[in-house]
Amino acid sequence: MPLNIDIQQILLHMLNFAILFAALYFLLYKPVKKFMDNRDKYYDELDEKYKSSLSEAEKAKEEYQKELDSLKEESEQIKVQAAQEAREQAKIIVSDAKKQADEIIAKSKARASKEKKAMIKSANNQIREIAEQAAQKLILDGEDAYETFLNSFDSEEN
Amino acid sequence: MSKKRRLISALVFCLIIIGLIVGIILTSPPQGEKEPVKEVMRDAVLHESGKIALPIVGEVNPGFISAMAVSAVLMIFAAAVRIFVIPKFTMRPGKFQYLLEKAVGLFTGLAKENSGHKPVFIGGYIFAAGLYIFASTIFELFGVQAVTTAGRSISLSAPLSDINGAIAMGVFSYSVILLGGLVTNGPKGAGKALKDFSLPISMSFRLFGALLSGALVTELVYYFSLTSYVIPVLVGIMFTLLHALIQAYVLTMLVSIFYGESTEPPHKIKKQKDTEKRLNNHEKVS
Repeated sequence: MPLNIDIQQILLHMLNFAILFAALYFLLYKPVKKFMDNRDKYYDELDEKYKSSLSEAEKAKEEYQKELDSLKEESEQIKVQAAQEAREQAKIIVSDAKKQADEIIAKSKARASKEKKAMIKSANNQIREIAEQAAQKLILDGEDAYETFLNSFDSEEN
Repeated sequence: MSKKRRLISALVFCLIIIGLIVGIILTSPPQGEKEPVKEVMRDAVLHESGKIALPIVGEVNPGFISAMAVSAVLMIFAAAVRIFVIPKFTMRPGKFQYLLEKAVGLFTGLAKENSGHKPVFIGGYIFAAGLYIFASTIFELFGVQAVTTAGRSISLSAPLSDINGAIAMGVFSYSVILLGGLVTNGPKGAGKALKDFSLPISMSFRLFGALLSGALVTELVYYFSLTSYVIPVLVGIMFTLLHALIQAYVLTMLVSIFYGESTEPPHKIKKQKDTEKRLNNHEKVS
């Protein structure tokens, strides 16, 4: 054959390479690739797991946000209501206090007028007593008694 | 450095030089036996004279012995890795694991890119082919000796610089493409592969030519005494490493492209155009 081409040697080379290919494929390529694929799969699963947990967390966050918003709204309403109630309560308290104050003032006025009356009465009585005493004295002491009475009344007032 | 140490160093250096010169003189071939350059070149291409005896088979070219040696080394390496390294693989790879994964990932990626619909088998094939071409080309650098039937000692050449080895590689790769097409797409797939009937020849002679050219240049550089110092180290290593890388890449790329084409489902016309475009670009590069 030209160029020293030998069919037997070509076949020998092919056999040699076929054996080598089988050995390298099963001993080296396949196990390494299997390991790499498994690792990729593991990381893919991990990634998927993280993604799903992330989406779950996002959902939960959204729900909590909604809840938080509604709670905020509710708290605002409660605040407004409480403020209104407080205002009403304050009004009631103020009106009650006013009533009580009015009552106290009225009572005080009544008591004061009563005391005044009593005082005036007692003063009148005293005046009457003094007048009676003066009259008695006048009767007893003569004409100067009237003068004495007036003088004594002036001195008492001062 | 003291004067005494300097003197000792100079003495040792002189002794080494004298030893080397004596060695060169003692190992030089007898005068008048030097082959003419034509014979050297012819022997490098055809391997007519330097045959090696192999039991059962008979006389074979040194390239086949190299192929067997490379295969044995690779298989022992693969078995050792399978037994001792792969069971200890960790999720965070070490240096060697990273290297292995990178090699497997490189060929898997090439297979997925060029024949994405059936990448597993062809990924394994191009991994083996790439590793074999690279290792067998590098093998030449070690200068492993063998004894020919004539009783002469020769340095084993790269298996693919033997035309029989290159043809075997080309035909085997073409057979894989043909069978892949036949198994996946039936006669249509085989037809697609048969359409490129020149492929085994082009693949074989591309490998043979590339590796042979490197071998011839190195032989020539060695042949003339003027250029046989220092230069062969650079030229030999440069050619060998470049061919190892380039030819491994070119053959694996071509096989994966043609395999992808023959196993491609028939309706994907756009992808076929893409494949042709990639192939044209690749032809320009190679």
